[in-house]
Amino acid sequence: MTAITVHCLGAFRDLGNNFTVEVDDASVASIRAAVSSHLLEINRTDLEGVLKRSVFAEGDELLRDHATVSGHEVSLLPPVAGG
Amino acid sequence: MDLFARKKGERYLCGLIDGPCQTSGLDVLVQDPAHGAIAQFFGVVRNHNEGLSAAAVDYDVHPELALKALSELCDDICGEYPVRLVIVHSRGLVRVGEASVVISASSAHRKDALGAASAAIDQLKIRVPIWKKEIGLDDEQRWLDGHSLRKD
Repeated sequence: MTAITVHCLGAFRDLGNNFTVEVDDASVASIRAAVSSHLLEINRTDLEGVLKRSVFAEGDELLRDHATVSGHEVSLLPPVAGG
Repeated sequence: MDLFARKKGERYLCGLIDGPCQTSGLDVLVQDPAHGAIAQFFGVVRNHNEGLSAAAVDYDVHPELALKALSELCDDICGEYPVRLVIVHSRGLVRVGEASVVISASSAHRKDALGAASAAIDQLKIRVPIWKKEIGLDDEQRWLDGHSLRKD
């Protein structure tokens, strides 16, 4: 198992600045599934819909779900609303 | 900490600034003796949204990604329009009546400056990793929905 630190942005800030999930592999799809389980564990399934529309990033690169992360930290980006 | 990126050749300047944006002096940044038009757009926090009263908006930003997205946006706009361009967006607290985003574009003729400013704010809203937390008069807070960056 690998520990991945998820940095929270936007609506996910309600969960704190970051949290950690454990994954079997470093794919973004696995991280997304682990975050979904985390939301269930902490009783925040109201954020599940936001999670489905969110994207993960590593550094300054947005990641598709089939990608794998090279490090142990990702950012979780909900739908954007600048302006 | 304010963050800015400037394109080689100085066709554009874009950045993030803590707190409200200044709306004065932007024209100087895009002035060009060959340009006869300057178009400016100020996005200002209003006192209502979706039927609720608002006192302020707290902008959350991913600085590294936002600056990259703003630079790419400026590259695209400057590729489409023959303009000089400035885009600055706030992060942190911006109160009603204060500007959260300022855009200034200059061109030889008005159509390009107006088109560039309009395209810039349209694209900024759907491409740049920035999030709004609206703060009501009673200090109630809510995150506003936006545009998904997910491509799969």
